[in-house]
Amino acid sequence: MAKRKNWGWYALFVVPLLVIFVTVVIVPFIIGIFYSFFEWDGIRSNPMMPVGIENYIQLFSDSRFLDSAWITIKFTVLAVIAVNVVGLTFALLVTSKLRTANIARTFVFMPYLIGGLLLGYIWKFVFSDVFVMIGEWTGLDTIFFNWLMHPDYALYALVIVFTWQMAGYIMIIYIAGIQSIPGEVIEAAKIDGASLWQRNRRIIFPLLMPSFTISLFLTLSLGFKIYDTNLSLTGGGPANATELFAMNIYNEIFGYANYGYGQAKAVIFFIIIAVISLTQVYITKKREVEMQ
Amino acid sequence: MKASKKTLASLIVIGFLLILAACGGDDSVNGNNEGAEEGSANKITIFQSKVEISDQLQALAKEYTEETGVEVEVVGTTGDDYFQQLQIQLNTDQGPSIFSLQHVKEAEKLESYLYDMSDEDYVANIAPNMELALDGKVVGVPYGVEGFGLVYNKDLVSPEDVADLDSFVSTLEKLNDEGINGLGLAQDAYFLIGHISNYPFSIQDDHFEFIDQLSAGEVTMAETPEFQEFGEFFDAIKANTKNPLDVTYDEEIGDFATGKTAMIHQGNWAYGMLEEYDLDFEVGMLPFPLNGNDKLAVGVGNNWAINGTKDESEIQAASDFINWLVSSEVGQRYIVEEFGFVPAMTNIEANDLDPLSQAVFEASNSGETIPWAQNYYPANVVPNDMTPAAQDFFLNEEMTGQEFIENLDVAWQKSVK
Repeated sequence: MAKRKNWGWYALFVVPLLVIFVTVVIVPFIIGIFYSFFEWDGIRSNPMMPVGIENYIQLFSDSRFLDSAWITIKFTVLAVIAVNVVGLTFALLVTSKLRTANIARTFVFMPYLIGGLLLGYIWKFVFSDVFVMIGEWTGLDTIFFNWLMHPDYALYALVIVFTWQMAGYIMIIYIAGIQSIPGEVIEAAKIDGASLWQRNRRIIFPLLMPSFTISLFLTLSLGFKIYDTNLSLTGGGPANATELFAMNIYNEIFGYANYGYGQAKAVIFFIIIAVISLTQVYITKKREVEMQ
Repeated sequence: MKASKKTLASLIVIGFLLILAACGGDDSVNGNNEGAEEGSANKITIFQSKVEISDQLQALAKEYTEETGVEVEVVGTTGDDYFQQLQIQLNTDQGPSIFSLQHVKEAEKLESYLYDMSDEDYVANIAPNMELALDGKVVGVPYGVEGFGLVYNKDLVSPEDVADLDSFVSTLEKLNDEGINGLGLAQDAYFLIGHISNYPFSIQDDHFEFIDQLSAGEVTMAETPEFQEFGEFFDAIKANTKNPLDVTYDEEIGDFATGKTAMIHQGNWAYGMLEEYDLDFEVGMLPFPLNGNDKLAVGVGNNWAINGTKDESEIQAASDFINWLVSSEVGQRYIVEEFGFVPAMTNIEANDLDPLSQAVFEASNSGETIPWAQNYYPANVVPNDMTPAAQDFFLNEEMTGQEFIENLDVAWQKSVK
């Protein structure tokens, strides 16, 4: 009797979500893989020609795709480091006994509430107008020029904006982690004469491992998948120097009308993200320590 | 126990009802459409790519609704990625009843969605050779004719200053010395390279044939004299003007209107924005003097097309709307006065055109024009491949115009692959 009742409750909460998940994630995913074996322009009434795995073979000689892959990796590595360093630093700062801790927390978190698209446009203005103005006023035009016009700096600009957006969110995760560390452990370390660095290194960081796991996972996968900020800040330019994975796929499908080929890219993209993220979760999980 | 069981049961029922209701929404909409099949549909949607006329089109739609009772929904447009958005909408069966097509290449791609307008009355009034035709069928009614060239400030430049390459270069240099930007382009794909790239194609004897040969790899731009000279023009532009990648469309127009730029490469559509400034000088439009060219590039930028996959009543309603647009007094007034188009219909008269449109209108009437080769470019070649090449050229100080042309060759081949 009791069991049947439980089953009902499960169904009530799970079935709607399951239906939604299957229709918007699982089904399109499978159809997507199916399409990747065809040559097709994405218009439903036009013929689809099965080409087997040719789309996948073609990928490895597509220099624009490989460039884009390299840029994406560069971006993700820089972004993961920047976001986590900034996020963790702020988390440590605002959990210390700063008087402005609450305000600082709010301000750092706020950019996360602005959509990536808007943030991109705002920063586009900052880089292309404000930076140039600062450069003219101060004469430091080797640092303050229009970053978006320089193939390398445009990528750094993207990293800065992504950090600006994500650091606050990651900070919240770290704060939660830090606050769950019992005060007596820290106090004991203090009494034993551990310096601030020693306390961080030996006590806080090991106990913070679960937060590292989730933060790294989030930034890694979000960094790989970034599209909105990419679109509004640089649009992939200049000269395709910041065309990240997601944008490359979009352009392939809708710009060049190679639907099947673009799908093949998307499948590869999925595999790469899955492999990297899972490896990362596996490694950091192993380093997590349990409080006794 | 019993009570909670009842609550649970009713919760489940409510949950499923909600899901059903959500799914049912679509059905009822479809049902409406089917019900209205006999008469004309009472609602059509328009999705078109010209941002400049969206407000005016909204107003026109309202007037149409007041006059006929047919509801016209104008879907907002985003500009650059219009065709992709359209494709998405059509694929999901949520396509508009009326949409816009830029040229025959787009028409080819969407052939299966196009309604054959050949038998409609209004088609007869389209100016000769200006209709959008595919395999002998008329599939699009032109918005209007448009033309582009060098829009110039008559106080700063006179026509003989830009009659050929030499005078063009010396004019840019002279203006540069005076602290005035000689020629303004903008960072957006079509204003950076798209429009201006027409000239070396358009002044070929037969640009269709030339483009076919180019796509087949039988000729290259780098070996064609018109393109070589085009490269020299670009050398001069890079050396003497503000880097266009730093300039947005708005800034391009704004700088021109305030006298900071002497010439911009723009079309008659730009006058709408120029008007918002109080110009204290006269503007005119000159041909781009590539190879001594003395004709404006005039063509049709956009066409109204009807979605032929809709049910008959909706197609009829869409057709009625287009007929009303080009035949009724209100519609014609909107085309000329509100949209600011140079009409491409013989039954529309155009008076009081702005100076740029006047120049295009006169050129079009006298036949002294060169065609828009871009309408025959491979699909999306401008944003996909030519723009990155042009960005590269303007970023890389050392790159010469000739190298730029060679890169354009590479870009072209990527698009036809």
